[in-house]
Amino acid sequence: MRHTRDAMASPNRTARSAVVTGRLLGIAFLVCFLTGVYSHLLQEPLGWMRFPTRPVQLYQFTQGLHITAGIAIIPLLLAKLNVVMPALVQTPPVRSVLHLLERASIAVFVASALVQVVTGLLNTYQWYPWPFPFKQVHNALAYVLIGSLLIHIGTKLQIITRYWRKRDSFDAQGRFVADATVGSELPDPNDPAGQEARPGSASPSGGFVGRLHRWIDGTPAPGPVAPATDTVPVTRTAASADGRRQRVARRGFIAGVTAATAGVVALTVGQSSAVGEPFNVFGPRKRHLGQNGLPVNRTARAAGVLATATAADWALTVAGPSVSRTFSRAELIALGQTEARLPIACVEGWSQMATWKGVRMRDLLAAVQVDPDVHVRVTSLERHGGYRIMEMGPEYTADPTTLIALELNGEKLDLEHGFPARIIAPGRPGVLQTKWIERIEVIA
Amino acid sequence: MSAVVVDNRVRAARIVLVVLGVLVLAFGAWVLVTTVRPNRIGGLATWLLGAVVLHDAILSPFVLAVGMGLRRAGRALRTWVLVVVQAAVVLGSVLALVVLPEIAAKAHGTKNDTVLPFDYTTRLLVVEGVLVAVVVIALVVGAVTARRRSDQPLVAGTTSP
Repeated sequence: MRHTRDAMASPNRTARSAVVTGRLLGIAFLVCFLTGVYSHLLQEPLGWMRFPTRPVQLYQFTQGLHITAGIAIIPLLLAKLNVVMPALVQTPPVRSVLHLLERASIAVFVASALVQVVTGLLNTYQWYPWPFPFKQVHNALAYVLIGSLLIHIGTKLQIITRYWRKRDSFDAQGRFVADATVGSELPDPNDPAGQEARPGSASPSGGFVGRLHRWIDGTPAPGPVAPATDTVPVTRTAASADGRRQRVARRGFIAGVTAATAGVVALTVGQSSAVGEPFNVFGPRKRHLGQNGLPVNRTARAAGVLATATAADWALTVAGPSVSRTFSRAELIALGQTEARLPIACVEGWSQMATWKGVRMRDLLAAVQVDPDVHVRVTSLERHGGYRIMEMGPEYTADPTTLIALELNGEKLDLEHGFPARIIAPGRPGVLQTKWIERIEVIA
Repeated sequence: MSAVVVDNRVRAARIVLVVLGVLVLAFGAWVLVTTVRPNRIGGLATWLLGAVVLHDAILSPFVLAVGMGLRRAGRALRTWVLVVVQAAVVLGSVLALVVLPEIAAKAHGTKNDTVLPFDYTTRLLVVEGVLVAVVVIALVVGAVTARRRSDQPLVAGTTSP
């Protein structure tokens, strides 16, 4: 155990490296948490909640950020876990009840972080090879993760404040300054085997670990003590060489993590950002690919609406408290169409701006003598699925860009995009832009 | 080990953070048990445990060994060559980690043609090929310039991942 831990000693496995990677990772987790909670509340609002409809690209932005930050977490999390690797095999493994609880909270944190990242990534590929429901677990684990992160920051706060600033972390030669009073569990790279703390151990840099480090770094085995007159200059040169070695190591590490984070983000972000589109090498979606020049999530076949959505007698029922009317597609067109530029932004991260044409929701509500500021329930022809029924608050129903869309990107709405009619509203996730609608009902 | 000295302000902030953290964590656990059926929570527990075991017992030792190998192999390299090689190796590994499941997902079958539309295998091979080329060029250029300026010292010690 101790040998393994000593062998892990590195200029990149210090409390300072843990603080630097931890800060970035903490920010990324917080961004994912906040954007994730926003997305969840949009889909399952508490009764009193109202949401902004401007800018119309708000959800496209927050959810694109959620997925992008989530992808950036992959290299950052691996980097952080690599930095703190020696703490995993610390001796003794448990020092006290409090220490046991702290290590347990870290286990919860690491487990939930890994599962969140892996299942979130695979969700963007629409692949669910696990025995639990994705949406509910992703939501619950987000709180578990943030809770255990707060505990982790709390327990490590003394170390975090000690090594927050660069100038407090390194000496003039660029060597890491180990401070035993803050309780870091990572070995000192200047003294990997920690001999100073272990009087009576074998000669410095001796034993297996010493040989291993000499093999790796090509430093000579400790020889006889030099004559007293030479000691000071020799030590200074050794310190400066060691400082240089540590600086190079840190630079290499930062370069690796930066390249991995920037690379993995740049090559996938094109699925949700116009800027990244030319570099969309590995994105799970390609913008403008699909019917009406737009990707498809749920097909008409998967929804079981091939017959009902193409039936000649299709009609949309609009039920107000006093008046109820049905509209054929031709009658909807006759109500007068409005054009709106609104994005489709999927919870899985891809998004694209599109031009929609259709009847304003508030015009349709006026046709059944209802004021636009109402809650409505929209039902799809879909036979099953969690989004067959969708509810919409007054901020959307009254919005002049909320449409019962009949055309998309200058063409008749394709069957895959919700023909004969679908909902499009500003700032909502794609799953709430209900396709193949058959009924709109005023509920309050 | 010296005694750990905790600043008073740190102690107060620590208590706030830990209490808040425990509350948020408990809320997450409550959301979990109220929204996920009990028979599914067993499957989740396996995944949570499996993730830690997979990382700590397989990925970490592998990364540690590769890192030591790189550190030894890289000790005769110039700094910039080493940094380029290291960045390429890390980027290549992370891209493989992200794209290999994508290839598996595509092989598993997609719900329609607009999901996973690219040939990810070819694209991954091309990108990894480019990274290998970058590494080779860096090594060659590094070796050539080192020979030309052989009076300049090489980097003595190097780096870890």
